[in-house]
Amino acid sequence: MDKIGIPRSIFYYYYGDIWKNFFDYLKIPYIISPNTNKEIMDMGLKYSNDEMCLALKTYIGHCAYLKDKCDYLLIPRIDNYGLENQTCTNFLSAYDIINNIFDVKILNYNINLDNNETLKKGLIKIGINLSKTKHESKKAYKYAINKYKEKRSREITINTNKLNGTKTKILLVSHPYNTYDDLIGKEIIKYLEKENIEIIFSDKFDEKITNKLSEKLSKDLYFKYSKDNIGSIIYSKDKIDGIIFLSAFPCGPDSLVNELVMRKINIPYINLVLDDTSSFTGTETRLESFIDMLKGGFND
Amino acid sequence: MKECYLGIDIGSISTKGVIIDDDNKIIAKEYIWTEGNPVNAVRKLIKILKQNLPKKCIIKGIGTTGSARKLIGLMLKANIVKNEITAHAVGTLTYYPNVRTILEIGGQDSKIILIKNGIITNYAMNTLCAAGTGSFLSSQAKRLGLQPEEFGKYALKSKNPVKIAARCTVFAESDLVHKAQVGYPKEDIIAGLCKSVVLNYLNNVGKGKKIEAPIIFQGGVSKNEGVVKYFKEVLNEDIIVDENSHLMGAIGIAVLARKNKIGKTYSLELEDITFDTKAIECNRCSNNCELLKIYRNNELVDSWGSKCGKF
Repeated sequence: MDKIGIPRSIFYYYYGDIWKNFFDYLKIPYIISPNTNKEIMDMGLKYSNDEMCLALKTYIGHCAYLKDKCDYLLIPRIDNYGLENQTCTNFLSAYDIINNIFDVKILNYNINLDNNETLKKGLIKIGINLSKTKHESKKAYKYAINKYKEKRSREITINTNKLNGTKTKILLVSHPYNTYDDLIGKEIIKYLEKENIEIIFSDKFDEKITNKLSEKLSKDLYFKYSKDNIGSIIYSKDKIDGIIFLSAFPCGPDSLVNELVMRKINIPYINLVLDDTSSFTGTETRLESFIDMLKGGFND
Repeated sequence: MKECYLGIDIGSISTKGVIIDDDNKIIAKEYIWTEGNPVNAVRKLIKILKQNLPKKCIIKGIGTTGSARKLIGLMLKANIVKNEITAHAVGTLTYYPNVRTILEIGGQDSKIILIKNGIITNYAMNTLCAAGTGSFLSSQAKRLGLQPEEFGKYALKSKNPVKIAARCTVFAESDLVHKAQVGYPKEDIIAGLCKSVVLNYLNNVGKGKKIEAPIIFQGGVSKNEGVVKYFKEVLNEDIIVDENSHLMGAIGIAVLARKNKIGKTYSLELEDITFDTKAIECNRCSNNCELLKIYRNNELVDSWGSKCGKF
C-alpha cells in the first residue's frame, strides 16, 4: 500500500495530530521524518534559496529526507482562514516550492476559507484520492478532529493554568514550528527549564479568544498566526514576568509584528532572532542576563 | 594582609582586568587586546596585574565575564562566572547609584540598560547583527590607515560630517569607500562614521526605549570622543563617560566576586599551568556536534557543544 510522508516541520506542528489520527483511522501507512538534525538542516540549506526563512529551509530539508522513503509527500496549501486571517507566503507556496525542487508525488489540499475550502473538504479529498470511500473519509475526519480537539483543550488548560503558578513566568512568543524544533527552540526551552522558569507557550491558547484580543494592540493586522500570538500577550500580560520573542531569520510577519508589539507593551522582553549560523553562546548570554534581571539578580 | 578581588572581562576585541579591595577601590587595572586568543591574553594580563599589585595583597575572589567567560572561568577556577550585562550594571551602580540609562558599545555587542531607583527595569541587546560596534570601527580605522585610538580625535576636527548609511555596516562600508574616492576630507568621513554608529545604535538597540538622564556611556567605544560627541548632540543630554568606562564590566564582576567569595585564596602563578582546548567533531549521531574539550594540566575539565548532553 502507498506510504505517506509527513515532514516534521511547519504544517506538522499545526496539523500533525489531525493527520496522524486521520490516517490511523483509515489504516493508511505513513512515515514522519525525525526531529530536525544537522543532516536534515544541511539538506535544507543545500536545496533552498538564500532568502527563505530558517523554518522553510528546515521544511525543505525534511522533504529531502523523506522523498525516497515514501510514495507521496503530504503538503497542504494554506491560503487564509478568512479575509482577516491570512497566512504567510510559506504556507501558501510550500507545495509549489517542493513540487519544483523535487521529483516526488505530492498529496495536496487547499485551505482557503474565503473560497469555502475547509480542512474537512481537504481531508475528505485526500481520503478519496487514496481510494477510500467518501463515507469512510468523513468518518475518519470526524474521528481525527474530535481526538485532536480533546488533546488540544487539555494542552490549553495546562498552559493557561501555569499563569497562576508562583515560579518566575516567561511567555515564549513564537510559532510552534520554531518553538518545538530541535535545532531552533529546543535549546532555549532546555535552558529556561534548567533555570527553573515557568514557560508559557504562545501557541497553546484558545485562538478564538486570542485572535480577537489582538485587536487591542492593532486592528489592522491580518496575519492569523501573528494575531494569535499577540493575543496571548494581552491575555496573560498581568500574570507574566517577561516575554521572549523568538523568531527565525528573516521572518517577514514576525519582524513587523514583534517590532510593533515591543513598542506598545510595558513588560520586560528580549528579542531572539535565530539563523542556522547562530551558536548558542550568544543566545545564552541574552537568556542568562534576562533571567538575572527578572529574578532581580542585578541587585544583589 | 589586604584582601583583594580580581575581575576579568574577556571581550572579542579586548581583555580587561581590575583588582579591587573591600571598599571597591581599584588597586590595579589593565586593558590589552585579545588578538583572537583569550587564553594567552589572560596570561599576559595577569602577569601585568601581578607586577602592579602591592606585596601585602592576597586574592580572595576571581570573577570572569565577557564572551570567553566560561573558558577563562575554568582556567582560573573563578568563583563566579556571569554575563557581561549583569557585570556592567553592577559595576556602574557601584559608582553611580543614581544612573538611569547605561549605553554600552563593545567589540561585538551593543546594549542599553534602563534603571530606575537602582533596579534594572529593561534592557536590550543587538540581535544577529553586529553593525556599528567596536569591531566595525576598528576595521574601518585600519582601512583609513589610522589606529582605533586616534579615531575620535580626528572626528572632533570635522565641521561637516558626511552622511553615511546607518542601517547596515555593509552599506556603510561601501558608502565610506565611495565618499573617500570622491575626495571628501578624512576627518569628515570619520565624523560621519561616528555619527552613523550613534544613529545605528539608537535605531537598532535603543528603539522605543525612553532614554533618561543621567546617562552613562561605556564599553570600548566610549573612549571614542567622536561617538560621545554625537550621542550628546542627538540625545540632547549630557553623557557621562567615566575614566574607567571601558573597565566597568571587569569592575562589576570583581564586585560580584567579592560578594560571592568562598573563603579560598587564589594564586596568580599561571606559568606552570598548561591549558589546552581540543576541537573534535562527534560522529555518533547525525547532529555532528562540534565538541570542544578543555584540558587543565592535561586533565579533562569540561567539554562543550554537545546537543545530546552526553559529553
